[in-house]
Amino acid sequence: MAQSRAETLRYVTGNTINTLDTTMPGATRESFGLSMNVYDRLFTFGRKKVGDNWTFDPEVIRGELAKSYSISSDSKVITITLRTDATWHDGTPVTAEDVKWSLDRHVTAKSLAAPQFTTGSLTKADQFKIVDPQTITVTLEKPDRLALANLCVCYAIMINSKLAKKNATADDPWAMEWMKSNTAASGAYIVESHKAGESTILRRNEKWIGGVNSALPNFKRIIIQTVPEAATRANLIERGDADLAIDLAASDLPTLEKSAKAKVASIPQTNGFTHISMNTQVAPFDNPKVRQAVAAALPYEDMFKASIFGRGRKLYDATWSATPPDASFPQPIPNKTDPVLAKKLLAEAGFPNGFSTTFAFAAGLAATAEPVSALVKEALSKVGIQVEIQKKPDAEFNTMQAEKKAVFFTDGATAWLPFTYYFFYLYFTRDQRWNFASFKSSKMDELTLDARYQTDKGKYDDACKKMIEIFTAETPLIMLWQPNHDAVMAKSVDGYTYQFYRQADFRDLRRV
Amino acid sequence: MLAGIARRVGRRLLASLPALLGVVVVTFMLMRVLPGDPAVFFASGPSAGKEEIEDLRRTMGLDKPIPVQLFRYLGEIAQGEFGRSMTTGQPVVLDIKRRLPASLELTCTALLIALSLALPLGIAAALRPGTVIDHTVRLLCTLGVCVPTFVSGLLLIYMFYYLLGWAPDPTARIDIFASPPPEITGFYLIDFILMGDWDGWWAAFRQLLLPAFTMALFVLAPLARMTRASMLAVLGSDFIRTAHAMGLSRPRIVVAYALRNALLPVITITGIVFSTMLGANVLVEKVFSWPGVASYALDALLSSDYAPVQAFVLLMASIFVLVNVTIDVLYGIADPRVSVA
Repeated sequence: MAQSRAETLRYVTGNTINTLDTTMPGATRESFGLSMNVYDRLFTFGRKKVGDNWTFDPEVIRGELAKSYSISSDSKVITITLRTDATWHDGTPVTAEDVKWSLDRHVTAKSLAAPQFTTGSLTKADQFKIVDPQTITVTLEKPDRLALANLCVCYAIMINSKLAKKNATADDPWAMEWMKSNTAASGAYIVESHKAGESTILRRNEKWIGGVNSALPNFKRIIIQTVPEAATRANLIERGDADLAIDLAASDLPTLEKSAKAKVASIPQTNGFTHISMNTQVAPFDNPKVRQAVAAALPYEDMFKASIFGRGRKLYDATWSATPPDASFPQPIPNKTDPVLAKKLLAEAGFPNGFSTTFAFAAGLAATAEPVSALVKEALSKVGIQVEIQKKPDAEFNTMQAEKKAVFFTDGATAWLPFTYYFFYLYFTRDQRWNFASFKSSKMDELTLDARYQTDKGKYDDACKKMIEIFTAETPLIMLWQPNHDAVMAKSVDGYTYQFYRQADFRDLRRV
Repeated sequence: MLAGIARRVGRRLLASLPALLGVVVVTFMLMRVLPGDPAVFFASGPSAGKEEIEDLRRTMGLDKPIPVQLFRYLGEIAQGEFGRSMTTGQPVVLDIKRRLPASLELTCTALLIALSLALPLGIAAALRPGTVIDHTVRLLCTLGVCVPTFVSGLLLIYMFYYLLGWAPDPTARIDIFASPPPEITGFYLIDFILMGDWDGWWAAFRQLLLPAFTMALFVLAPLARMTRASMLAVLGSDFIRTAHAMGLSRPRIVVAYALRNALLPVITITGIVFSTMLGANVLVEKVFSWPGVASYALDALLSSDYAPVQAFVLLMASIFVLVNVTIDVLYGIADPRVSVA
């Protein structure tokens, strides 16, 4: 039973897989990663090469458990043809009933899938219909552009319904409790053992057909191990005892890049951004001039170097004004360090002598956020704004954010679905936690709604450009950069792909 | 005499119940006073909105007033129900059952190493006060105390694993590619012996050495210093002079007469050291990825995960009580006068 070391991938992480059901509230990011490798979805995103590295490609959607799909001319009905040869880990065939049950669960059960699915207008079980044993249709009220993409995200797992139903109870018809520590899946890997907070061992599913051309993944065995100390993780890779880590300290990376046994894949997180937010509903940040003044006062270049050692893509220093060159987002914004302009704007806003405020960040992000805070404090004091830095435990910081009590802070964000409209819908509309700056703009609401159901590409792009214009004019938050995702691996490991959920997809990896 | 000991133990255990209840209530209140809403923390998925947070709060029972939550919690404890950890997704009892042996095995080994070093060092220092030996022991102890365990741990790893390659990789209780023993006692060293698997025993032992030494270094000082001081006092007393005068051999005087009388304060300090080690070895557990209870509790604390923290504090308090009772019994064996009371 023991596979050779070469056929085994040992992945070390500082975090914990806390559930085998990734839709459970509280699921950690590590659990998302596990779920992608263990469960299949109907569809999955493709991948593309950017420079020397692979990145997921949301523009390409291919079938995993689905063989193909077609979309009706009014874009309201998606017809999905299922594979006929797919089986669950227990050997029973994947049926249309299983798929329907899984989709029903995602819109009905109190899991994290339901709120995610609403962003694709998937809200009710009667939208999913079994036409024949190989065909399912998804009917939408309006032609939502993200309906199909939502079937690719981590939560959209396909579940062996017969097995799950056997373990469901009257109180728990969707087997939520059972699925936390058991799987009912069809994916590329089968969970062999799972000790939360210690290790999880996966074995390859030799009957998996969800890959490109039904190819099996290269590694026969995966060991996922929790190693809390970043220095130890780095040591393990350098010694050649572990094969992959994605959460090492940025200060260790230059050494590892020169190491004889390890290599580093540095890939910009194309679906994320680090930002400095201001609560647009609270004085003095309710005045756009004050927000622009802060944006002009910040020492971007210094922060970029001190915080992430320049390992990322800058989202400042753009040369355009008023209208962006394209409809993509996040893209560089024309923010520049200009203390004279900052002072002038502050005076216009009625604060010629500045004001006092607090600047918060989560302790968990201290490594990158602490240098940012120090530089923010220093730069703002030069234009008269006195800043008191607040380093908060993660749970407290999150609570402050959710209750909108943080007025001025730095944080990071990633959107699973990196589409311009989705970014603005998620982060700049509605009174909800992820609207970091509590931004309110009826024009923005209108534009995001319009873009969501817009089927004409030209009109969609125009709407997106207008959103970026509003964002730039109003400056509810200041874009800093897209930090790199740094995967450190043994020299023999190849094919690492940056995925939207920021975890390793073992199916892409091989040993050369 | 046995009946006397049993009665004393029973009385002590009974008397500690109010203290344990107090610990439970205080921890419970403390966790809720701390800023940070666990529901928000755990509903932090990419799409979790207000409703999801409210739902989670309801499932966790956090929407009720605190006194109601407290009484419900006390009722659950009485039934042996300690709740579920949000960080690991497992029932707390199960987590602790799996992790406590890991912590105990590490702590006991470290204590054994520390005692086997500290007693001879302390005695040697006491026999030759003011000499080079005495000063060397003092230096060693000072070094052990003033280097924080995560520094000494990382240094040991760097030297013995990274540079020399003598130690196995410092992750967990046994090489990840080897299979752990079946859970009999949960102590790997004992389980491997019970299985007769000597290769496994050796693997587990090698894995244990570095973290145990790291911890032992840290507690060397109080033990050695206490042994020295107590030995010095005893060696200067009348009955030792009498023993010398009667021509007894030196080893006999030191071991049978002096050491036995000097042990009382050492036992006391050992008890305290043991309890502190068990709770405070979180740094060692983190550095060596040791799946123990302390790192478990710290992770839970950082994410406002109430149930594991509460259970951990109660567990530590109970162990403290047990250790104190054990020390009492040991007193009686070391000094028969104590048990008369």
